[in-house]
Amino acid sequence: MNAKLAWRYRITQVGTALVALAILVQITRIQNSVQAQAILDDTYRYEGEWTIFYPPRGEIFDRNGKLLAGNTIVYEVAVNLQEVENPHTIALATSVHLGLDYATVYDQITNPGAGVVSLVLDDYVSPDRINETKKLMDSLENETSGLGDANRPSLAGLTFNAHLQRSYPENSLASNILGYVNRELRGYYGIEEKYNDQLAGVPVTAWVPLNPNLVEEAPEIRPSTTLVLTIDRDIQSAVEQILDESIGTYGAESGTILVMDPQTGDILAMASTPRLNLNEYWNINDIFPGETPFNRAISQAYEPGSVFKILTMASALDAGVVQPGTIFVDTGIFTYGGTNIRNWDGRAWGAQDMIGCLQHSLNVCLAWVATQLGAEDFYRYMQAFGLGHKTGIDLTGEISGRLKLPGDTDWYPVELATNSFGQGVSVTPIQMVMAASAIANKGQMVYPHLLKTIVQDGQVREITAPQIVGWPISEATARTLSEMLAISLENEASDALVEGYRVAGKTGTAQIPTPYGHYDFNQTNASFIGWGPVDEPRFMVYVWLEKPSASIWGSETAAPTFSRIVQRLVVLMDIPPDSVRLQATTGP
Amino acid sequence: MEKIKNLFQTYRQAVWRTQRQWIGLVLILVVVSVMVAGLYLNVTARTALAGRSIQAIREQITENELVNADLATEYANLTSTEVMEQRARTLGFRPVESNELIFLNVQGYLPKPDFRPAAAGQNPANNPLPPEYTESLLDWFGRYLVSSPLDGAQR
Repeated sequence: MNAKLAWRYRITQVGTALVALAILVQITRIQNSVQAQAILDDTYRYEGEWTIFYPPRGEIFDRNGKLLAGNTIVYEVAVNLQEVENPHTIALATSVHLGLDYATVYDQITNPGAGVVSLVLDDYVSPDRINETKKLMDSLENETSGLGDANRPSLAGLTFNAHLQRSYPENSLASNILGYVNRELRGYYGIEEKYNDQLAGVPVTAWVPLNPNLVEEAPEIRPSTTLVLTIDRDIQSAVEQILDESIGTYGAESGTILVMDPQTGDILAMASTPRLNLNEYWNINDIFPGETPFNRAISQAYEPGSVFKILTMASALDAGVVQPGTIFVDTGIFTYGGTNIRNWDGRAWGAQDMIGCLQHSLNVCLAWVATQLGAEDFYRYMQAFGLGHKTGIDLTGEISGRLKLPGDTDWYPVELATNSFGQGVSVTPIQMVMAASAIANKGQMVYPHLLKTIVQDGQVREITAPQIVGWPISEATARTLSEMLAISLENEASDALVEGYRVAGKTGTAQIPTPYGHYDFNQTNASFIGWGPVDEPRFMVYVWLEKPSASIWGSETAAPTFSRIVQRLVVLMDIPPDSVRLQATTGP
Repeated sequence: MEKIKNLFQTYRQAVWRTQRQWIGLVLILVVVSVMVAGLYLNVTARTALAGRSIQAIREQITENELVNADLATEYANLTSTEVMEQRARTLGFRPVESNELIFLNVQGYLPKPDFRPAAAGQNPANNPLPPEYTESLLDWFGRYLVSSPLDGAQR
């Protein structure tokens, strides 16, 4: 190789090296420029997104596994503005299929505002309507894709994002117990509000990479809590039907029925009027106007009237003040605290034992019994029965009622006499049921509750053992009083009786206090509380009909309602007639 | 000095041979680089595919969860009290009265067990992935040593 050629090679080598170096420098410069950093930032922005994962809201079942509250798919309808080809078609399709306003949608798409890349047009749209829109979308795509026309009809850019919303398969059944969930995913009333945090679960915010090379382990989302209630759907349905029929038959303004297992405190049914179709919760203000309570069983206190006498008698028997055979001579009037107490019919019933006093529901007799017991003991017992305090039932909205006590500024001595037959004291149905559970359950007062099982993180926690909240009376007293109440119903040939089953109970007819400090003699609260079978109670039923017009008496309205409920209960709870049951227990 | 020079001369490679060696070396480097690059591309592509697969499966899981919840509710709708009562009445049934029931004493009869929701036991922590999906080679070897019945093999 001559020197000239070698020199040329050298020049070429240096030139090539310089070009390569220039390329390297330029690559490095570009990669580290401000523009490159901006592009990188954009890249990072689109590399993934922070997403909040909401676990599906926990389901609610009845005690037999029937779904009371679940979740169903609905859609959010949105527009990806970068993909829109024909705003007119989108506006037209959404106005026809989704009921949106054409002009509004068209304006939103064509004038979205600076920086807007996506628009939400509608939410909580049902799958049926979405399917119709999707069909239209597909047919348009098939028919017009080959036209090449810039103005061809197209729904490109329209997107449908599925998510869950609360759904109640039973509509209004047990609505007063369940409550509802609004679109902000917050529970209102009942179980939904009481256990909102557990049912809603814990949302998790996580970075979700769109770049497949950056896929990371999925965030761990703890499943929401599933609840199993003590409610029996079939019993609840039967009770609601009977309640509605009774309200219609007796012309009552409203009503409440409670069914509880007195041995465990399991609430088997809790019916109240009015009821709300939970899938259309937005009608709540129409269905519950003004101060109407959502669940009267826990949120409406009233003067219970004669059903309260069972608590007075229980106290007196337990204190040893009277015995079942104690004779009281009823003269038809009893003066105490400067006030004359009279019977419901104004009659004098003559010599009556304590069973007779309960059977004929004699105010005079029970007022005398209370005075024999004395104010101190009487109110001590009433407090032991839990009156004046919330039961603590696991529902939102419980109130405590009012038990005036000696020493209160508005308590007068006559209250002892009037309270003895349920006047001047206000209670909620759930308080009465809890208090009476002591009589049905060998002196043990149980905590009324609706939660049976909790499933959290796959772990099952069952609430099996009954929670005893007090022993206001002895077992002997409870058995004695149960027997007295059963006999009083049998002697009275009450409409509450059920063939083949021995039940104990008491009617109540309470006049309604007016805002002027008197009682309305034409309107009453009719009640009945009872349980059975007497020797081994499986159910306790409380019936309250407000202002019945067909008859003002509890014995003619609430008592037959109780009987109808028990006739359904023994079928639904597989309770054989007493004769069969006792034969099976004692053997052939 | 001359001898030393001759000795170097004797063992010096020919120029063309040295050039060929360099060319060979460069070619080897190029081939190795291409192989490494190819391997890297292959692994990267497979990783990306696996990533896409994972993303798709996750989306499918999410969709399945939605559909499952929806179907459970749909089933509950179809078997709701109102629907079932209506169907029963249409078929000519009516609620049984208590006096129409006949009770039999069955020895050994067990009442049906309490309902237990399907969500029970669904916590992933209760059903961990098998070790084949999570352990390293060393973990596997350690597990093998612990679980391997060496004494049994010696018998």
